[in-house]
Amino acid sequence: MNDIHPLQDSNRREFLKNTSLATLMAVMGGVELRAADAPASATPLTKIPPPPSVNFGVIGLNEWGREILHQLSLMSYAPVVAICDTYEHAFRKAAEEAPKAKQYKDYKELLADPNVQAVIIATPTGTHKEIVLAALAANKHVYCEAPLANTMDDAKVIAKAAKAATKVVFQPGLQERSHPQRHFLIPFIRGGALGKDVMARAQWHKHGGWRRESPNEERSTQLNWRLHQKTSTGLIGEEGIHEVDATAWFLKNRPVAVTGFSAMRLWGEDGRDVPDTIQAVYEFPHSVNFVFDATLCASFDAAYEMYYGTDSTIMVRDSKAWQFKEAGSPLQGWEVYSRKDMFYKESGIQIVANGSHQSALTAGATADAYPNTPLWYALDAFTRNVSLVGGAVKDFTDLYGDNGSAKDLADSLAALKTYPAATWQDGLDATVMAIVGNEATIKKQKIAFEKDWFEI
Amino acid sequence: MKFPAKLSLQKIKSAAFTTVCGTLLVAATLPAVAQTKYTSTPKGCDVKIEGTSSLHDWEMEGSLIGGFLEFGPGVQLDPAQATVGGITGDKVPATGRVIIPVRSVHSKADHLPDVMEHLMQDALKEPQFPRIEFNLKEMAFKGPHEAGKPFNFEVTGDLSISGVTNAATFPITITQVDADTIKVSGTAPVNLPQYNITPPAPSFGLGLMKTGPDVKIIFDWSLHKKQ
Repeated sequence: MNDIHPLQDSNRREFLKNTSLATLMAVMGGVELRAADAPASATPLTKIPPPPSVNFGVIGLNEWGREILHQLSLMSYAPVVAICDTYEHAFRKAAEEAPKAKQYKDYKELLADPNVQAVIIATPTGTHKEIVLAALAANKHVYCEAPLANTMDDAKVIAKAAKAATKVVFQPGLQERSHPQRHFLIPFIRGGALGKDVMARAQWHKHGGWRRESPNEERSTQLNWRLHQKTSTGLIGEEGIHEVDATAWFLKNRPVAVTGFSAMRLWGEDGRDVPDTIQAVYEFPHSVNFVFDATLCASFDAAYEMYYGTDSTIMVRDSKAWQFKEAGSPLQGWEVYSRKDMFYKESGIQIVANGSHQSALTAGATADAYPNTPLWYALDAFTRNVSLVGGAVKDFTDLYGDNGSAKDLADSLAALKTYPAATWQDGLDATVMAIVGNEATIKKQKIAFEKDWFEI
Repeated sequence: MKFPAKLSLQKIKSAAFTTVCGTLLVAATLPAVAQTKYTSTPKGCDVKIEGTSSLHDWEMEGSLIGGFLEFGPGVQLDPAQATVGGITGDKVPATGRVIIPVRSVHSKADHLPDVMEHLMQDALKEPQFPRIEFNLKEMAFKGPHEAGKPFNFEVTGDLSISGVTNAATFPITITQVDADTIKVSGTAPVNLPQYNITPPAPSFGLGLMKTGPDVKIIFDWSLHKKQ
């Protein structure tokens, strides 16, 4: 294995400074490693005051679209003023979450509504391109669910349009990119807490057919687009893209190749051709491989990620993370007062902002460190960034008029300290990794990634 | 205008040359009579608000400053001269307005920057009064001017913050960056209670932070000559 540690970078110095401080504090009597000791990006957003309101339009009102509506309903600063779906009956359930929203059957009419400032696109993956391009052209801020598209060409078209639309925010639905737990973990992992990295692994296990109930054949086709290769990016694209993205993000690299396997173990008799069980091995530089497996046939152990190192292994599950240390690995100090949980026969140390406070030893003390869902954090970041960027664009235009060029505006916006969120490049990268990974599992072969697949 | 049908091209060129030369000669020998107006340009604008607290000093930064500065007829800033051209005494005939959007000033703190921003915006009642404005009433030259150095002035005007307007006087410098661009720099002291602003006193965990009543608005303002 190459001695260069891809997880380590310049943050190591900062991490060592923090851990040294924590060690000293622990010796002195266990003063907490608080959120304030972590990077600003790790600060739980719940402590931050609400931004000015942003009016939302949500396009696509199926299960995930309604979950988006529910999360937005928890934010007083994110009123949903318009909803859209081509299916008439979809409005009934959606209206429970957004009773005041105007209802549109055509997304173009929603985009023409001047009251809508930002749109969330939660339609089938293959329809994203058309709606994203129209929304950006209408000068709306756009949150587009991941993957961006089900072909690399479409993903590039979306990314290119998003890059060019400098006056609005474009955020792919890679929700982990906005999660404060992830931002707390990054300096921890890159600072060398794992020792030399060994490998990464993630799984997504569920027992259920992925099929949605429908009143008729036509509606069934509309609803169950994920079951067919022509319209779906499979288990990697529609579920595993978040784990693939998180691993590449933590490793700060793109994979060089992916090898896949797939099988239809339980659900093949209903006419689908998307495999219900897959395994994929992504090869990253420095011989660090990421293994992902997903199935719709067995739910044991659900979903989690593991990052293995020579000194310790970190498990990320839901909104929590634990460290499992090897015997004899260096003491980092902060773990003295951290809460420990048992997993099988292993004792895991909770990694969480404020987790090293003495009170963390009490059961449940850190249970509400990240009380919201990953989607909530992503939508919260989007709303705040829309408010920030939208305000900055207006101020710039009001103050300078013709004296300000497009480049001046872009420079001004680049200086803004935005909230952590996925970018168009993150969206393109994750989509390419998912599409190629899906192809590898279907074909049961190895595919090497080419550099220009990630470029526009 | 209708030209004689047989007027040669050479004669037209000659007439045009004479007209242009004559115009330039008149312009060079007559005193400048036109007012000179400068308007904000986005390059080179910086604003910083500095304050104190019971824990540590704090600061916020922005890069948007709007408005204009217009000099009366004859006023000239020649970097080689010891005084401002075209003035008698120290009074400089000038009007101007400085605009700083409150929400464009951001905290650069490592910890909880959003909270500090919110406290400041809340204290300044940003939704109702989104701008800090200064309207220039008097401008006095503080000479002599040293060649190659900025010109020194003292300005007096109305400073409006959070819906309250007070008279304010503070020193500024003006640097001639190039033929068409000037940079105005200065520091405006502000006593928050004079603007009906209660200095924020947020609580963090078990601690309480009290911010001081006096802040400084420090600015570098870039302006371009309006043609």
